Amino acid sequence: MSSSWLQQQRHPGYEEESLRRVAEQLPCREPQAGMLLFLMGEPKQYSLPCIFIYGHRASGKSHVVNILLKELETPHATVSGAECISATLLFQQVLLSFFGEDAVAALPRSPSLSDFVRIYKQHCSRATAEQTRYIVLEKAELLRDMDANLLSTLVRLQELVEDNVSVLLLSELVWDTFRPNTGCLEPLLLHFPDYTKAELHQILSRDRHPSYSADFYASYIHILLGVFYAVCRDLRELRHLAALNFTKFCEPVAEGKATESDTHKLWRHIEPHLKKAMQTVYLREVSSLEWEKMQEVEMEASPLRGLSAHSHVELPFYSKFLLIAAYLASYNPARTDKRFFVKHHGKIKKTNFLKKNEKTSNHLLGPKPFPLDRMLAIFYSVVDSRVAPTASIFSQISSLVTLQLLTQVSHVDQLDSPKYKCAVSMDFICAISRTVNFDIIKYLYDFL
Amino acid sequence: MKTRQQGEPLRKLKNFEYGAAEVDNENAPMLLVATLPKRSKRKSAQLVSSRIKKQLNLLDDQPKPDLDTEDEEEFVPSNTALYSSSDDEEMIDGDEGELARKGRRRRMTERLPPRSEKSPSAARTCRKTRSKKGESDTPRHGTPTIPSRLMPAPQPNYVLEVARTRLHVSSVPESLPCREQEFQDIYSFVESKIIDGTGGCMYISGVPGTGKTATVHEVIRCLRNAANADEIPSFHFVEINGMKMTDPHQAYVQILEKLTSQKATADHAASLLEKRFSNPAPRKQTTVLLVDELDLLWTRKQNVMYNLFDWPTRRHSRLVVLTIANTMDLPERIMINRVASRLGLTRMSFQPYGYKQLQQIIMSRLNKIKAFEEDALQLVSRKVAALSGDARRCLDICRRAAELCEHAVARTSVARLVGMDHVMDALNEMFSSSYIASIKFASVQEQLFLRAVIAEFRRLGLEEATFQQVLIQHQALCRVEGLQSTGVSEVLAVCQRLGACRLLLLETSRLGILQRIRLNVSQDDVLYALKSD
Repeated sequence: MSSSWLQQQRHPGYEEESLRRVAEQLPCREPQAGMLLFLMGEPKQYSLPCIFIYGHRASGKSHVVNILLKELETPHATVSGAECISATLLFQQVLLSFFGEDAVAALPRSPSLSDFVRIYKQHCSRATAEQTRYIVLEKAELLRDMDANLLSTLVRLQELVEDNVSVLLLSELVWDTFRPNTGCLEPLLLHFPDYTKAELHQILSRDRHPSYSADFYASYIHILLGVFYAVCRDLRELRHLAALNFTKFCEPVAEGKATESDTHKLWRHIEPHLKKAMQTVYLREVSSLEWEKMQEVEMEASPLRGLSAHSHVELPFYSKFLLIAAYLASYNPARTDKRFFVKHHGKIKKTNFLKKNEKTSNHLLGPKPFPLDRMLAIFYSVVDSRVAPTASIFSQISSLVTLQLLTQVSHVDQLDSPKYKCAVSMDFICAISRTVNFDIIKYLYDFL
Repeated sequence: MKTRQQGEPLRKLKNFEYGAAEVDNENAPMLLVATLPKRSKRKSAQLVSSRIKKQLNLLDDQPKPDLDTEDEEEFVPSNTALYSSSDDEEMIDGDEGELARKGRRRRMTERLPPRSEKSPSAARTCRKTRSKKGESDTPRHGTPTIPSRLMPAPQPNYVLEVARTRLHVSSVPESLPCREQEFQDIYSFVESKIIDGTGGCMYISGVPGTGKTATVHEVIRCLRNAANADEIPSFHFVEINGMKMTDPHQAYVQILEKLTSQKATADHAASLLEKRFSNPAPRKQTTVLLVDELDLLWTRKQNVMYNLFDWPTRRHSRLVVLTIANTMDLPERIMINRVASRLGLTRMSFQPYGYKQLQQIIMSRLNKIKAFEEDALQLVSRKVAALSGDARRCLDICRRAAELCEHAVARTSVARLVGMDHVMDALNEMFSSSYIASIKFASVQEQLFLRAVIAEFRRLGLEEATFQQVLIQHQALCRVEGLQSTGVSEVLAVCQRLGACRLLLLETSRLGILQRIRLNVSQDDVLYALKSD
């Protein structure tokens, strides 16, 4: 069934056997692989200068391309944009996989594009290829950050080196965001659509456990997709979750409480477990290893506090007050400072007190920058005892900045009246103020 | 050495001979010498002509026909044989040569339009350029630097082709019309410095194509002739061009290499030159240094310029520096005070040519060949004078018009002169902007997108809009026009294509639909181009 696209079109020049193997390894990607094979043509024929393949994460872009090129034994160089932080590495990898060591040795220390093209031409004139050479560039979106002319050159590399070479660009972004402002050769765009639910089911069911029947595993995948499909269509993530929770699913069968066909019972057993996994494992609150351990020792799932619960930080006394002052300065408008922090501020007009009908609260808009003076003024007013403005106070401010609890908005060089923002959450600051017995809610304009 | 110096005027003589041949189709050198001074009022030319007279008298006494052939061989690099036979034929005084010439003339007249009786002119131009090659800037080491042709240059066959070769920018004529005053000023400046044995600076400015470099070269050539005739002391001439250097400090290296053919690093060359120009030396010759494209020698500390202008002020330097740049206020604009003051106030600005001057230049180039209509020439020169006064531009347009005329003649096989219509076509080709044409021939969607951009600008009252705003207009326009609405990706591709043609100014494509769009052409131009279809 999977070799339908093979039978429809003849692909002369490739072995029947290797085509069958390719078809086996590419479930649910027949149209795409068939199209690619169609574009590649016969081994001797010239391929397109550039094919741009795009699709979401885990939609099988690299997999299809790599399987095709590997099984059909075409000369190819697979390069990842993330690895090649400079064009030099890219050139080296391409030359290495096409022509071997001596071509790499011929590259000068910091090769330019023209060096690469020159050496490529030299070597390909010596060893002319019987087959199309393919350069596969994964994460091609990172190429845009490199030399401005690199991408537009790679797109028409076939012309430049006068060789039967084809460049495949793989990316999760669309070509519209790649196009250089000066224009370039338009590659052929090939889209890899997302897997549907049925396709995901088909692919996930393939790696079944040997000691259980295929239907049993398929029903497990069905349940898994029913829980997770709404939030996650990433094949890799789903496969990971499936592997992680399968032992829990098998438990009733292993203990003899249920049979393999007792679907309802099994579903009742696994469903709350999977829901818990969504909150913990899927968000990486608990690592996969801990999750497996927890299942082994039959602990109640997630009694453990995850990563995000560790939000308590020990700080010095004045640092706490400094942070509180920064928080108040960031989230309160400056015109309300007098009303909150001046002890005897004379007669108060009632109209000033009333909270104006504001559409959004300051907590939704995010922190606002404030000058150092304002923060210190609030600090002196919230700390009850007299504090001398010593060097230690100021060094605590700068260390709060390095701890990333405050961020400096103004330039680092600016020494007089620097501006800061508070970068901690409401929960964090409430916990801090509780430790110093300070009721912060009373001083926040939003909660008046 | 001696023979060479004698040979120079001889070759000059031959040039004039052909000038004469052109006048009345007969070799009458004596007659020509009498007419020559009328043609040029220039002092140097007069000097030259007097020298020619002397030589001619010498020749009359003892004619040495073998001498000049030898000279030719000495001067023209190895490829003499490659040049077409015409030159060699004319070298032989005798019936054969005469016969051959006549034969050729007969051949030519068959092909030529009936009006042209000056067929030997073709041979003449050839001779002219060749004689100049022999007279290269450094006669002492006669190694030619221009690679020699493998094939002989094609002979211009008929009038239009002759006109085209003469109008080429590279064929600088012997005498530069309309620059007599400037020539005189520079000549007298340099000559006085050479005779006095002192140094000095001169700053020459003018917009491109006004004949600055050509005039200076002409001055140097005349001075060299004078030096060869022992009228003034001999001198070195060194030319550097700021554009031909990778780095301003390379100026030192090039000057040193041209003076002493010695290679050194920039620093070392600077110190060597410093020593050369500040120490007295017996039998020191004056050095004339021509610095073209001076503004490119600018460095942050300006030490290259400072040295170039400081050396002439030394007591023993005997250095004359001629600097050429485009802007008149360059010393005030980019030079610091101590450099500008060393440059001094000897300045000269070349005014752009007026239309009469341009006409005169073309006439002198054509040299009485009847290839252009009077009105056509006037139109070219008026148009160019109104725009820039660039002689190069003027010559280019004339050549293009001659080409167009040639095509027309080849098509219709009706011989005619270059007329108004050809000149108008050439002018349109050269001066019209391609933006309007490119909008006219853009695709439907591209035109629609431009229309959408203008509609959005009108709505906003601004000259800038984001892509998504324009997209809404575009889709509305599509609906109005009854076209199938296109996807965002296609419209984005259309927009980026227009951006790549520089009809639009775009931000980086990474911003996607948020990128802002500006027009690179005026709205009126776009509307004009869109309306006309």
